[in-house]
Amino acid sequence: MITTVVGNYPKVPSLGGGPNLRRALSQFDEGRIAAEELGRVVAEATRDAIQEQVDAGIDIVTDGHIRWEDGQTYFARHLAGFHVNGLLRYFDSNTYFRQPVVEGPIGWTGPISVRDYEYAAGASSRPVKAVVTGPYTLAALSHADRPRAEVALELARALRQEILALQQAGCPLIQVDEPAALRARDEAPLVKQTLRELTSGVTAKLALYTYFGDVKGLAPDLFDLPFQVFGLDFVSGPANFDLLEGFPAGKELGAGLLDARNTKMESMEEIVSALRRISRFVPLDRVHLNPSCGLEFLPRANAHQKLLRLVEAARAAEQALS
Amino acid sequence: MKGLLTTGVGSLPKPPYLAQARNQAARKAIEPAALRQLELQATREWIQAQEELGIDVLVDGEQDRGDMATFFAEQMAGFTISGLVRSYGNRYYRKPIAVGPVGRRGPMTLEMYRYAQGLTPKPVKGMLTGPYTMLDWSFNEHYPTRAALCLELARALHEEAVDLERAGARYIQIDEPALSTRPEEMDLAIQAMGIVTAGLTAHTITHVCYGDFDAVYPGMLAMPVDQIDLEMANSNYDLLEHFRRHAFTKVLGLGVLDVHTHLVESVEQVKRGLRLTLELLPPERIYVDPDCGLKTRTVEEAKAKLTVMMEATRQVKAELGIT
Repeated sequence: MITTVVGNYPKVPSLGGGPNLRRALSQFDEGRIAAEELGRVVAEATRDAIQEQVDAGIDIVTDGHIRWEDGQTYFARHLAGFHVNGLLRYFDSNTYFRQPVVEGPIGWTGPISVRDYEYAAGASSRPVKAVVTGPYTLAALSHADRPRAEVALELARALRQEILALQQAGCPLIQVDEPAALRARDEAPLVKQTLRELTSGVTAKLALYTYFGDVKGLAPDLFDLPFQVFGLDFVSGPANFDLLEGFPAGKELGAGLLDARNTKMESMEEIVSALRRISRFVPLDRVHLNPSCGLEFLPRANAHQKLLRLVEAARAAEQALS
Repeated sequence: MKGLLTTGVGSLPKPPYLAQARNQAARKAIEPAALRQLELQATREWIQAQEELGIDVLVDGEQDRGDMATFFAEQMAGFTISGLVRSYGNRYYRKPIAVGPVGRRGPMTLEMYRYAQGLTPKPVKGMLTGPYTMLDWSFNEHYPTRAALCLELARALHEEAVDLERAGARYIQIDEPALSTRPEEMDLAIQAMGIVTAGLTAHTITHVCYGDFDAVYPGMLAMPVDQIDLEMANSNYDLLEHFRRHAFTKVLGLGVLDVHTHLVESVEQVKRGLRLTLELLPPERIYVDPDCGLKTRTVEEAKAKLTVMMEATRQVKAELGIT
């Protein structure tokens, strides 16, 4: 079983110590430090987040998205055809993102995340996966005066270029996040069309992650899309357990079994018994065990505890279920 | 004719000396008693400012509160407070964590209510954060379900509301800004609010914001309160279209000041909002106030905005012959 994370990681320590990104950002905003100094602290915070995952025993890490303001802004502000507007609530969470606004034809003008990927890959002793916010989700969370389908498909063509650039950079696993797909069952055909467009001609290993709900109405044919790994959130979407029937042999499951939105710690028994349930449909050597979504909803110390528990539970499950 | 009373939504900006003292207190650089003196001073200043503006129903301005959920959780049994969590940009806050049975250790808002009410003959509102919002903004390590925590919080907040009423509060506001987060849980929010307001004779209000209004209206009209307070200015009074399709059956708290912009509204803008609303509701069912708490503005911006609100209300009342 592979241990991994879904994406973001808390940017600052719970109790002080470590690189002080929060202070550096506010000093930069006040004009008291230069961009280079901020960049140095951001890089240090990124290395710190990667090292914490590596030390916890996570097999495939991310850069923690330390440089991301939010999953929408990070991509939209570098794509042609967008500007980024005011704050909106992010799904049903108590966090916010800046809403992208479509103001013209959408296009890819150059790599957005490749330099960050390369930095992380150089800083990590474990493989690093890159994460790209999916075209359907980016369209759903943006404001546009054009039909959703048009915007989503244009985004798919633009973000395909980003995926090809990550592939070119040698990224071993590229993850596409589509939480909004779970909120719009009536648009399932558009979701699938968009994802086919996004992945056309891509040869790198791809993962599709969903969270904040279950894939009812999308599965099982969701699993036929050209991704090798499908990430499901079993915490917010317990119905996902029943949707594994017909999970294609040969594909891999990202099992979100630890609640990334609550500090309550799962017991070993809970995780192992959930993995036992999953193993009836997907062999454990094709399971990526991960939290239910990005860990940035938690304070850093709690996120770290979740990583330690995740690795511990993976080892226990391998022993108990092999 | 009566009506178009003016009021506040809850928070008012903290003057710079208080913001500085709060930072110092967080670093333990000044004593809690010294901070308290400054909180009382700022409260005095705001009560006086509201009286000078001519506001009818006052707020204490929440000069002693930071995060509206954490303020209560810190004083209750069963909670600890988390490490830092990012809300957006470079903004971080600490969340309550329910780690055991939650309950009231004693009054949480009574001392400040009594202090503020003692400064003025005008009514001061009792201000509580609602049980659903407390639930939604907390981590839960103890209760098996969200509902169980929510209803327990409701019982604790009911005790607080009863204490406020006994102390003389004629208006009690129980804020539920999280109401629209998960429309599928609105029944829980309504049930919990019923526990908080059970048996109260005070005029009860709930403030709701950040909403996907389509998802919660008209369902929110079942909230067991006398008045629902809504942010109207920041959507250019679009919510009124919903009222045309389905009548608004409560007393309305009509937000006429966008609290998220530095720009001060014009008197004409506010008058337009009042006139549009008066097409649908009689003046005695409208309380005029800002969209939300004003704590994110500076003291000067807040006063400038409230001055416009008061002037526009005075002019519209004069047109209607309301004294």
